[in-house]
This record gives sequence, C-alpha cells and structure tokens, in this order.
Amino acid sequence: MSEYSVIGKRVHRVDGPEKVTGSAKYTFDLVLPGMLYGKVLRSPHPHAKILKIDTRKAKRLVGVKAVVTGKDTLGHKQGIWRRFPELCDEEILCREKVRYIGDPVAAVAAIDEDTAEEALDLIDVEYEPLPAVFDPLEAIKEDAPQVHDGIELNININRHIEWGDVDEAFKKCDHIREDQFKCSSQAHVCMETHDAVVSYDYGGKMTVWTSTQSSYYIQRLMADMTGLREGDIRVIKPPTGGGFGSKFELDSAQFCAAILSMKLCKPVKIVLSREEEFTATKRRTPMYYFLKLGAKKDGTLLAKEARVITEGGAYTAMGATALYLTGFFSSFPYKYPNYRYDGYRVYTNTAVTSAMRGFGAPQSTFVGESQLDMMAEDLGIDPIEIRRKNGMTPNYEVPGQAFIQSCGLHQCLDKIEEHVKERGKLPPNHGIGVSAYGFMSGGIFNWFDTPYAFSAAVVRINIDGKVDLFTGACDIGQGSDTTLSMICAEELGVKLEDIRIHAADTGICPPDLGAWGSRETLMNGNAVKRAAAECKRQLLEFAAAKMAPNIAYDFDIKDRWVHLVDRPERGVSYFDIVKEAIRGKDGNAIMGRGHYTPHRKGMISPAYSFGVQAAEVAVDTETGRYKLVNVTTAHESGTVINPVGIEGQLEGAIMMAGGYGFCEDQPMDEGKILNPSIADYKLIRSLDMPETDILEIDTYEPEGPFGAKEAGEGLTNPTAGAIGNAVYKAVGVRINDLPITPEKVLKALKEKEKKKK
Amino acid sequence: MIAAFEYFAPKTVREALSLLAKYKEEAKIIAGGQSMLVVMKQRLLTPEYLIDLKGITDLDYIKYDEGKGLRIGALTIHRAIEKSPVIQKHFGVLSEMEGNLATIQTRNWGTIGGNICHGDPAGDPAPVLIALKAKLKLASSAGERIVEAEEFSKDYLEVALEPNEMLTEIQVPTPPAHTGTAYEKLMVMKGDMSIIGAAVSITLDSKGGCGDARIALSNAASVPLRAKKAEKLLIGKTINNGLLTKAGEVASTEATPPADVHGSIEYRREMVKVFVKRVAQLALERAKAA
Repeated sequence: MSEYSVIGKRVHRVDGPEKVTGSAKYTFDLVLPGMLYGKVLRSPHPHAKILKIDTRKAKRLVGVKAVVTGKDTLGHKQGIWRRFPELCDEEILCREKVRYIGDPVAAVAAIDEDTAEEALDLIDVEYEPLPAVFDPLEAIKEDAPQVHDGIELNININRHIEWGDVDEAFKKCDHIREDQFKCSSQAHVCMETHDAVVSYDYGGKMTVWTSTQSSYYIQRLMADMTGLREGDIRVIKPPTGGGFGSKFELDSAQFCAAILSMKLCKPVKIVLSREEEFTATKRRTPMYYFLKLGAKKDGTLLAKEARVITEGGAYTAMGATALYLTGFFSSFPYKYPNYRYDGYRVYTNTAVTSAMRGFGAPQSTFVGESQLDMMAEDLGIDPIEIRRKNGMTPNYEVPGQAFIQSCGLHQCLDKIEEHVKERGKLPPNHGIGVSAYGFMSGGIFNWFDTPYAFSAAVVRINIDGKVDLFTGACDIGQGSDTTLSMICAEELGVKLEDIRIHAADTGICPPDLGAWGSRETLMNGNAVKRAAAECKRQLLEFAAAKMAPNIAYDFDIKDRWVHLVDRPERGVSYFDIVKEAIRGKDGNAIMGRGHYTPHRKGMISPAYSFGVQAAEVAVDTETGRYKLVNVTTAHESGTVINPVGIEGQLEGAIMMAGGYGFCEDQPMDEGKILNPSIADYKLIRSLDMPETDILEIDTYEPEGPFGAKEAGEGLTNPTAGAIGNAVYKAVGVRINDLPITPEKVLKALKEKEKKKK
Repeated sequence: MIAAFEYFAPKTVREALSLLAKYKEEAKIIAGGQSMLVVMKQRLLTPEYLIDLKGITDLDYIKYDEGKGLRIGALTIHRAIEKSPVIQKHFGVLSEMEGNLATIQTRNWGTIGGNICHGDPAGDPAPVLIALKAKLKLASSAGERIVEAEEFSKDYLEVALEPNEMLTEIQVPTPPAHTGTAYEKLMVMKGDMSIIGAAVSITLDSKGGCGDARIALSNAASVPLRAKKAEKLLIGKTINNGLLTKAGEVASTEATPPADVHGSIEYRREMVKVFVKRVAQLALERAKAA
C-alpha cells in the first residue's frame, strides 16, 4: 500500500477554531428578525384520555401569538419506520390520548420564553386518567391496561433469529448455564438539548435549523407531517452539540416550531429544557435478558439462546431496530453453530425508548460477556482463552445474517492479554475484567423507505484549486466533517486545507441518511471518495493531454503534484492543471458525484469492527464504591483515517459506557422519572475518568474507504461488561442488573459473607 | 421559569439590614445564588424581593489570631477557604472539606455563608463547623447575636435566622492541644453532595485517652446531625478499633437518613457506621500527631 499523505495523520478538526473559541453558532444561538419563542405543554399523566383542551385564556395573554393543539395538525401519526405504517404510532401533538408523562398536547408561540411559559399555565386540559402500566413484564399480562388499542398483550414488535439446531445442540453440551439479567435505562444527555428554529414564509417555503443527526430524515418526516413537498422544506444542521442516537427522529421542538411558524408565517424557536430533555425525549431501551449458553468441556460454545423483553415506552420510534440489533449482537463476536433469539418489545406508559449509541449492543454485550466469564469459570478456562477459542475470524458468515470480511478480534485478544500481563500482580480488591465486542459500520435495511442512495457526495473544484465538498453527512461532534474532508483530500491528492466542507444542508447537499449506526466513515466516506475520484479522473485527462508521455504511464495526484506514477518527479502543479481544465471545459468548474448503497452485504451491515476491552477496578469493600482505575481498549476499525478522532470517540465512549455500567439510571415512580436533572442524573465527570489507553490493531476492510470501518458506537459496547467482570475478579460478587452501583455491590458482598458463615 | 421579583444589590451590611428590616418574610437573600436560584426555578420559593449580598466586600475576609481563633466573613467564597494558607495550616479539615465541595466553578462563586444559610443537611461545611465547635454571628438592624453552629439548623432547608437577620461571620475557636479533626463523605462522583458524610473531632487527654469528641453527620437527618451518643461512648476511654466500630453502630442508630435515588435508608445507615469509624480513626491519628 502506498504511503498516505493526509489519512492517518494527526490533524486539527476542521471545525476546531470556531468551537474552541466559542464562536460556533449552534441552533441554540440563532436569532432571526421577528423570531418568536415556543414552549410545549406536556402531559402530567402516564396514561389519560384528553377530554377537552381550552386555550382561550392562554391566547388572551399579552405577548402570546399562537397556541396550537393536535387539532391544528393533519392528524398523521408519525414514525421513522416509514415502510411499516402500523409502526408509525406517535402523534407529536396528541389529540385523544396521552401515553406517558411528557407526551406533548399543546404548544405556544410568544414574544419571549417567559411569556410562552406563562401561557402554558393558562391552557386548561381536562384529562380522564386511565390505568397505566410501567413494567414490560406486567404489560404482557392478559389483564394489563392497553397502551395502544388493539395491540395484543401490548407487544409492539417481536423478532426471531435462528440458525442451526439449538435444542439438539444443547443435548450435546457438557455444561449449560441459564442466567437472567436486567439492563437499565440511560439518557443521552447531549450538551445541546433538542432545539429548532423554523421559518415558514408566505411563499410556502419552510426552512428548519435544527440540532439533528439527519437533516434528510427531518426534511422527509416534516413533509409527511405538514403536507408540504419535501423540496419546499430546507433543513440546515448548524454545529451540533451531540446526538448519540437521540436526534434522528422528528421531535417536539422541530414539529411544534414548524406548526406554529406555519400558522404565523414568522420564525419560531423552541429549545427544550434540560428537564424536558430527560423526561420527554427518547432514551436507551431497558431490557430483561434471559440467556442460556451451552459449551463442551474444552470451552467450545455449541449453542446459545437469548430471550429478551424490552421496555418500549409509549411508541415504536427506533425501538424495532434496537430489538433486532440486540438479538443479532447477542451472537457477537463468537461463532455459535447454533443460535436462537426471541425478542419482544412491549409498550408501557413510560418515556419512549429508542436508539442510543450502541443500539442494543451495549445491552447484549453486558449480558453476554458477563455470562461468558461465568461459563469460563465453571469450566476452569481463562476468560481470554475462551474468547479466543470461539471468536470470529475473517471471512466468517453469520448463518443467514451477515458476512464478515475483515475481523481483527484475535489480534485484539492478543494485545489485551499482553496488557493484562503487564499490569502484573494487582493490589487487594483490584480486578481486571475483559469484554469482547463487535459492531456494524452502518445499517443496510431500508425501513425508512428512501428511494435515494444511502450516502452521496458532490465535489466541486474551483478555479483557485479550492475544493467544495457537499455531503449530507451530519457532524454532531463525532468529527465526520474532518474525516470526510481527509478522505476527499487524500483521494484528490491535495492538502486538507484545500477542502471546504458543506454538510447537512438539504438545500445544497445530496441526501444522506445521517449520523447513526456508525455509518458515516464507511458509507459517506465511500461516496466522498468516489466523488473525489471522479474529479481526479477529469483532471488527469487534461494532465495526460498536456504532458503527452511517449509511452503509457499512469497519472496520479499527491500533495498538489500531478505526476506520472512511475516517474513522480515528472509532473505539473495541481493548481495549473485545475486552471487549464476549467478553461478547457468551457469555464465549467470540475465536478464529481459519488454515492454508496451497500449491495450483497447480508441483512445488517457492509462491515464490522471488533475489539476487546480490559477494565481495572478497585473496590472499597466497606462501602461497595469502586474506582475505575484503568480502561484499555484494543479496537480494530480497519484503516485509521483520523487518529485524533478515534481517541476522542474512545474517551467519550468510556465516559458514556462507564456511566452505563456504574451510575447512570432513570429510576421511576409510576412512570415519573425521579432524577430529571444533571444534579441527580449521575454522569462520569473528568475528575472521575480512569486512565485510558488505546492499543493499535492493523486491519484492512475491503468494503471501506481506504480500508476503514466504524469507530463510533462499537466502543460503547464493552465497558459495562468489563466493569461487571472486573468487580467479580476483584471481590467475587456478580451483579446482573445495571448499573453496578456501590449499594448493589455492598449488598452482594454482605450476602456472600452470610453464605460463608 | 422564575417568578418575577425585585432585585437589590446592597454594598454595605447596613444597607442590606435595612432592606431586610423593610421587606422581612417577603425578601430572600442570595450570596452566590447557586442554591437559591435552583429552588426559585422549581418555584419552591417565590420571593417578592431578592437581596444579593455579593457586592458587600466587607464580609469577604479570613482572619486568624491564635487567641481569638479563626474568623471567616460570610461572603468568603469556598475556593478562598480551600486555598487559604492560614486555614490550611491551622484548620486543614476546612480546606479538605472545601476541596470536595462541588466543582471549582461552583467554589469560585458560592460563599460559605450562603451554603450554611441554605440549610441543606447534605451540605459539607455545617458538620465540619459543628465538629470544630464554631459559632455564627447573626446581625439585624436591631443588633448582633451569636449562636452555636450546631443550633443553627432547624429543619430541612430551615435555619435559625429571623426574617430581618443575616449571617455575617463564622467564628472557629482554636482547638485545644492534641486535637485532630477530619471529614469525609461518600460521593458517587467527586464533588457530589454527600450520600453520607461524617466530621469527627477528637481531643486527647494527657494520658492519651479521649478527652473530648464531636461527631457530626451530613445527610443523615433533616439537619446536620450531632451523634451525641456516639460521642459519649468515646469520651473518657482509650480509643481502639473495637470502640470505633461501636461508635459507628451507635451513630447509625441516631441517624434518620432519607431515601432517594442515590441510596436507600438501609445503605445510608450502613455508611454512617463505616464513615464514623473511618473518619474517627483519621481524626485520632491527627490528634496523636498534633
């Protein structure tokens, strides 16, 4: 492979200067002339009929410009699984019934936020409270209250995955374990809450500025809900303060601002409060997990059965995907010859559960890696050895599901084994737990029902050699603007500073499904690479004509030098070729288009990343409090495009996944979330971050741009499992329900002590 | 949304006291505002008048005199106490306590007086001041009075301030020879409010026995709680591990902790045992070294 001149280099983010100086303008910062401020009235009941909404008093308040309710909408139920109308079950302004505390029922636009909020108090909603159900295990009982009419046992979706002969295989196992687990909820806690500025004008055109992971999805969903043509809606994503899965569905800030703006033909801004963010946006799916695992004496895993019941909350959202992926990733990263999964997503009268970084895989990895350690102990096999024995290898087919080309799991295991050895003998009550995982590089299944390519990009070279890159990819902080600019520069043979990226504005950028499912590097990266390659092809035509070599040479561009591949010293400046090429094209700028849609790549994803993580904890046995001492990760993501970006992803993932394992939770009382503030919702902060280290693994993914694959969500998968295994190694107690809090650890220690006596 | 209020920013104590005399119950004081504004946002309090003391520079001081002890102006910010060389030298426990009080940003704005007057039993300064036998100087336009720190808290978020009064000074006596004091708390994350915290002060007599002891707990009741029975157990005895374990157990029976998302009552009671024992052990070591 040739030496890259941009890829793999440590570069500053292309959006760095604005962000570190605080001058970047987020949706939150935007102010338009004549702009009004909106607020949303939400249900205080977990389940109730709406009998009457009286908005007259609110409308009379000085400064209030409009009040809207479900009657002002088209009455469409919305959902992101557009291919399946029965799964589009959410009204953004409820007309007849509310199904969770936080369900929106009305919205107000006023001259300022305080007035809008005051007006909310003046809206009189008459409810008839209905019996409600909160736990999915209760909700699937015959006599449970019905969250949606006509849905039997409140089962929203079920998913079945199976290969081999599971029952027969269990008969051949020397040892079988059956274990139960409970995975908790988690909030995304984006620095920027959901927000939108929507401006609808008298010409019938709408512009939406919003903090989103997919400007294309918001454009399409907004069209569904407002009746406008997709092309009359322009969605612009300004710099965005985090998404983590919470921002690619149409939300109440966007929709209510749109309805109000359409009513007034004035711009309306809605910014959700932190409390709304906790209670009335979506969250990670809590799951009850029942696992059965069978092995031979030597540690060969013969069969696995996973049964899962998930807390759906009030609506479908992206829950169907989480349900499928947790089932698929329950088989990861091992070669189970026989496997069966049955998952049920159950409606409850709680805040909706949906996509969150890892998307079902942090749950399956926690439970699977916990149980695998238990199995290894039962069989007297080293935890790394049992993973090595069963781990996936390159060119492996997950029967009927997926084909895995590159896979560096075994290199990761070797590196982590070395790391564990290097830590040497640990102090008392310290333990290192390992956890192996894999993840997808973008999803394949077209539930959104888009006719467009999954990713697309346009590259335009201007007369001064500056390159405009247009892409629908959404940089939500993860760094796709930088990564894609690097791919464009590398392919074109120019410097990073030659690229100017224009992203996530549906008015000028080709559609892209957005930043979720760890898809941008591979999918949009491929589209960008193809668009840049098309531009380069055009430039090289002119180069060939100009240089007219006497025998056929290949041409290439590197570091702005257009040259003969076999005689790199013979060449001309990129800038000269660009000028001549544009002149030669009758003044047309050089333009290239590229797109990527996966073909013949199975059901899930075109490529998979793998990794192994080791977490070291130190447990205080009197309090149960433990400290995360060190988290070391061997993650293979194919060719590393942007090393600084991966380091950022890793540290952020440890903060988020460590929190999932250690302290983050959303306890409820009768459907009411009890800790809807940053003071009470505990996040790992900088002072409590462990040392982190990343071990480099060299792999190459044939399907990825320059051999790259995902490095976003996969990193969130292993940590809870690694912590659970580490606590067990340290003090011999196993916690099967997340988060692994000090109180749970202490309780388990006391029980263990009692048993000894 | 915060309900509308009228805002005053007096520059002197006299000015502040005359505003309090005028508006009494209808006024609330902020001295940093980090606790009060949260309560006002939740509409738990909707004062008509808000008196912001931040501008009264006269109450921002740390003075030490061996005879008179330590004097801290009520408007001294947490960070100043944490970083004060004189406090680090003579009252190290106060500086240590401040080091785990919220974040640096909070400590750079919040004041010791504001913290104490908020009356949150989970707060850190109050139990330490009780263990140190501190006194509080309260002022009104009618005059001044002194109360014991342990008498100041009345109930959850309620303190012994009359509507026309404000806290002006914290007075900490110089501890007797051979005294050691320590404070530690259980936190989910560094800087969190305590799940349970314990402040212990131990004074050794000439024979090395426990001449005096004070134990004060945070977040173990509706007020910062003095565990008097546990203190009594220690006083007059030679302290050993067994006795400290017992003191923890006794303190645990004195506690009536809350249950919330951060811990159950049972867990908190258990933590009282652990922290009283641990912190007393540390205080004892310090007393021996003193």
